[in-house]
Amino acid sequence: MRNGTVLLLLAALALAGVVCLSAPGTAAAKAATLASTDSGAPSAIVMFPVSAKPNPKGTAMTPTVFNHLNHEKAVAKCETCHHTGDPVACSTCHTIEGKAEGNFVTMERAMHATHIHKRGNGTTPTSCVSCHEDVTRKRQECAGCHNIVVPRHDAAWCASCHNVTTSITPEQLQQGIDGTLSLEQRESLAADTVHTPKPTRMLTPMDGPYKVRIDALAEKYLPNNFTHRRHVSSLMEKIRGDKLARAFHNQPETLCSTCHHRSPLSATPPKCGSCHTKDIDHRYPDRPNLKAAYHLQCMGCHKAMNVGRPKNTDCTTCHKARQ
Amino acid sequence: MNRRKFLTLMGSAGMVSALGTAKVAKAGVHTFPYYPDSYGVLHDATRCIGCRRCEEACNAVNKLPKPEKPFTDTSVTGTKRRTTAYAWTVVNKYKVNGKDVFRKLQCFHCNDPACASACFAKCFQKQPDGSVTYDGTQCVGCRYCMVACPFYVPGFQYDEAFDPLVQKCTFCEPRLKEGKLPGCVEACPMDALTFGRRSDLLNLARARIAENPGKYANYIYGEHDAGGTAWMVLAPSAAAGKQDQDAKDAKEEKPVVKNHEDEFKQLGLDRHLGTQPMGELTYGALGAVPMIVAFWPVLFGGAYAISKRREARFKAEKEAHVEATKNDLAAAVDAAVRKIEETQGPGAADTARRAMAEALKSREMTSAAEHGEDK
Repeated sequence: MRNGTVLLLLAALALAGVVCLSAPGTAAAKAATLASTDSGAPSAIVMFPVSAKPNPKGTAMTPTVFNHLNHEKAVAKCETCHHTGDPVACSTCHTIEGKAEGNFVTMERAMHATHIHKRGNGTTPTSCVSCHEDVTRKRQECAGCHNIVVPRHDAAWCASCHNVTTSITPEQLQQGIDGTLSLEQRESLAADTVHTPKPTRMLTPMDGPYKVRIDALAEKYLPNNFTHRRHVSSLMEKIRGDKLARAFHNQPETLCSTCHHRSPLSATPPKCGSCHTKDIDHRYPDRPNLKAAYHLQCMGCHKAMNVGRPKNTDCTTCHKARQ
Repeated sequence: MNRRKFLTLMGSAGMVSALGTAKVAKAGVHTFPYYPDSYGVLHDATRCIGCRRCEEACNAVNKLPKPEKPFTDTSVTGTKRRTTAYAWTVVNKYKVNGKDVFRKLQCFHCNDPACASACFAKCFQKQPDGSVTYDGTQCVGCRYCMVACPFYVPGFQYDEAFDPLVQKCTFCEPRLKEGKLPGCVEACPMDALTFGRRSDLLNLARARIAENPGKYANYIYGEHDAGGTAWMVLAPSAAAGKQDQDAKDAKEEKPVVKNHEDEFKQLGLDRHLGTQPMGELTYGALGAVPMIVAFWPVLFGGAYAISKRREARFKAEKEAHVEATKNDLAAAVDAAVRKIEETQGPGAADTARRAMAEALKSREMTSAAEHGEDK
């Protein structure tokens, strides 16, 4: 039976396929446990708004789940965050009200301060926000956008970190603030949060136009045909699979909002000229005019990403000279 | 009035005037009023790309002669060019921590301009709109303004044989009056130049520094430098260029340079000008000039008159004394001769008179030779 071998082979293939397909499923089934860390610290930690005077009603800022494992891999040494050299919880010194041990730096400041004065003794503390801003401004693939825009600090921005699972009960929150929540409960809350799927489908380059003809100002030079799709796909390609980007680009249009900044997130954002007038608007002296707006965005990003060409003063590379 | 009284009076007057000028210098009275609504321009050096469009526009709107090299040649920014009588603005390239940064130079339109304080023909004026204007009709070509300017801005028409003038950026004052932006500001393709009220620009500059941590040096050049200027500069932070290096040797973290002198030095902007207007350094000394002009002629003229009067009186006294002695001698000689005449007859009297006259004459001669002629 010569066909029998084929059938057998097919059956084997199908079996292998089933195994492959079900593999992620089995991983999801074991959600309760997380990969362990090298340092021995928990892989994910629920950070409660620890306070000396907990609110009796049990309302507080949504706790943050801090993925210790991912951060441990990303920084060179523990002192980056544990700036005293002593690996204790942040809330030991930085509580909601601030404590003498923590120089009265509140938890809010310790996590969000951005203009941190450089210390002379070698260890300048960093906050979550300052470190993330620093990293995104320095990493070449992030620098283009993050050097020319600062993320809008709205509810969605807060929620990207203040993200503890919705299954947390008010009692658990109150106990967490008191410091009386059991270790198992804390770990299970953290694991639940980490394994909650984030169903964000980013817009793809195909959702945008192929080319955009920029001709509102064409006068001395011919209009520019901006390769919209090429630019978007190049940016997306660079951050594909990046955990940091995946964690924080949590809206479908996040990536669009560098160039299409300040307007509400949308797949069909307004034109640049809607706000940036041809001549500067005297009511908004710091809003660049349309020409400068284009140049600042394009050159700002190219400079930050170390894109060597075209040279800033090489006008005819982007828009051909009018004959 | 005698000498002592006069000198006492003059001395106290001199003291009062000296104290008065000292007070003026200390109080720092501005000879130019500060105009709170005046305009200015903020130059953001982090945005400048060195395209020289501002130079081109300046040349065009002010109808200046065409330069040797076209404005499309950006290589000239590599040399440290200065403004001249025919190039009122120049863009130069600087290295700030190894990175190219461009900076535009033109008249800074100081709040209290040194050129105006130095000009004795009053050619320079600080206008309420913020510009420092020059009117050459009274210019004598002394070029004190060029010496006084801390930014080396005014240029002189050395090639003009007749009536050469000092030339510098006018803040496009004629255009401002027409409601237009200065030529360079309008031409900038990067909005590296922002025009507005000086007070608004300061807020705007601070907002830019705050919104972009680490991008800018935390200092607005021209806010206070040289007493404050209408045109101000934002510089990139020195740390911005060092980032990669910092990441490598994070151990050698240094505290941030105080007052950001480093950034501005690398950008060719001196921070040593201080916050005092240049003019104020000289107002004290120059304020004393009218005092000197008013008092010194009286003081020294009076002293001269007194000594002259004293001399004259002394001379008159001396002459009277000499005359009296002479008369006394003559009377004595007469009496002696008359006595001889009575006792020994007229012949002997004549001989005695002659002998006495001769003796007196010879004595006068010797005394004159000894003391010299007294005039």
